[in-house]
Amino acid sequence: MSARHRLFTSRFDWLSATLVLGGLLLLYYLAPLASLFLAAPPGAVAASLTESTVVNAMTTSVLAATLSTLVGTVFGLPLAYWLARADTRWTGVVLAVVVLPLVLPPTVGGVVLLTVVGPNTFLGASAAAVGVPLTRSLAGVVIAQTFVASPFVVVTAKAAFEGVDRTLEHASRSLGKGRMTTLRNVTVPLAAPGILAGVTLAFARAMGEFGATMMLAYYPRTMPVQIWVSFVSLGLDAAYPIAIILVVVSALALIVLHTVASNPWQ
Amino acid sequence: MTSLRLDGVAKTYEGFELGPLDLTVADEVLTVLGPSGCGKTTLLSIVAGLVRPDAGTVSLDGRVLDGRPPENRSVGLVFQDGALFPHLTARENVAYAATDRDRVADLAARLEIEDLLDRRPPALSGGERQRVALARTLAADPDALLLDEPLSSLDAPIRRRLRDELHGLFATLDVPVLYVTHDQRAATVLGDRIAVFREGAVEQVAPPDAVLARPETEFVARFTGCENVFEGTVVEGGVRVDGVTFPAESTRPPGTAVTACIRPSCVRLNAPDAALTGTVRRRLNEGDDYRLRVALDGGPDLVARVRPSGTLAPGDTVGVSIAAEDVHLL
Repeated sequence: MSARHRLFTSRFDWLSATLVLGGLLLLYYLAPLASLFLAAPPGAVAASLTESTVVNAMTTSVLAATLSTLVGTVFGLPLAYWLARADTRWTGVVLAVVVLPLVLPPTVGGVVLLTVVGPNTFLGASAAAVGVPLTRSLAGVVIAQTFVASPFVVVTAKAAFEGVDRTLEHASRSLGKGRMTTLRNVTVPLAAPGILAGVTLAFARAMGEFGATMMLAYYPRTMPVQIWVSFVSLGLDAAYPIAIILVVVSALALIVLHTVASNPWQ
Repeated sequence: MTSLRLDGVAKTYEGFELGPLDLTVADEVLTVLGPSGCGKTTLLSIVAGLVRPDAGTVSLDGRVLDGRPPENRSVGLVFQDGALFPHLTARENVAYAATDRDRVADLAARLEIEDLLDRRPPALSGGERQRVALARTLAADPDALLLDEPLSSLDAPIRRRLRDELHGLFATLDVPVLYVTHDQRAATVLGDRIAVFREGAVEQVAPPDAVLARPETEFVARFTGCENVFEGTVVEGGVRVDGVTFPAESTRPPGTAVTACIRPSCVRLNAPDAALTGTVRRRLNEGDDYRLRVALDGGPDLVARVRPSGTLAPGDTVGVSIAAEDVHLL
């Protein structure tokens, strides 16, 4: 056996074999992304960034995703804490309800929401009467995004809260600090990376929300809706610039998850 | 006078029952000694307000603590592994509930942690962590101090040193101290009194010397290191166990069935006054001393603890002497 051959066999182990097979999958993920960037010349993307449809879609998306993430965080963190600390068998049921929007097809989520906030419902009609329509409005976008994105805050923050040793909370309280002070000084700081991960995931999910948003608020157009409109009316090329912006947003979310936040999938 | 009182405190979990307990801790150190799972930690949790008892009353200096949350009890609790806040430095930990800033400096000096104050808990050793934890608890000026096996996870030399320091520190405190441990040494070194626990109930409460010399139950005797426990009968001037008679002082009439307890350290081998004989069965080197199992001629096996200077080996015949005052009858 030649030295070279030995070298080859010693390198070729099962771990390498798994990577080769998995590598095909990786290629399947990355090649279309690379192809997208090649298909859209940087100049064209840069130019389209100033088009009013693109600017409007970006504004709507960022504003709505920020609001829905905020709503999801304000209401999701208390629920996450309750799920992590409550000592009752109901936590399983509650968690199932929280996870429901994650497994529900987004368009079905939209249908479900329309039965409550649609223009012909009591809630929808009343809100519209006082000048806050819940469909075909920014509020509609936020309602749709919150439904599908907020579970990420709850589920991820719940795991983060559970990761905080209860003994530390007991220590704080036996040192004379109440529940709120303990939460602020001990629990939240220790759970912060996980909470941030949940917030990031929720924001990224909200930015990409399409199905439920289409049902509730075709206008004002968010970026995913605008991609669809551009594709249908003008062809694939017209959809590239916004798609690239959304890829960049996703990449930024990944960077946050891998740096300051604690990646829940790691 | 400060005192911590438990009246009829009881707690039942599935498969476990604590109490009902009546205990009073004055301005003293009461060590609670018992095997793991005997309810020691539950007891502390109830006093600290972390666990709600099913029945009974806990009071501190006459104030009833029942129903109060942990933060309104002024009861300091030192946890087994310190439970330091990992995101804060040692200084921030100690200052977390400090009544004033001088207190942090005072306690840092007293517990010799001045050089560690800027470190975070992961950079501290086990012993250092417990010093910081103790400083943190004392900085809040609690009206009672509870400690849950604070030395159990430390290496022997550090454990010994910190135990000795705790002895000095407790002497300067004027609050009730409840110290939970499964280590008999810690219990006797630190306790003004020891409460021996078994399956959620108090077996005996007494000063350390009394618990060791005059255990009230066989469990207390065995748990505090008395390995020689025999069923016997009172005879004139002693107690008869199988075919041998140990000298003993008893006011009970001859013929009474008794349990005789003899600490291994009270058994002397090959002394001039040896009244019994036996054969060495086994010899274990325990460092400072040897533990020998001696089969008494016509009697039971007896465990003796002797200095390692001897040359006794298994198979040797030995003379055995035991003083009457060292034979404790139950």
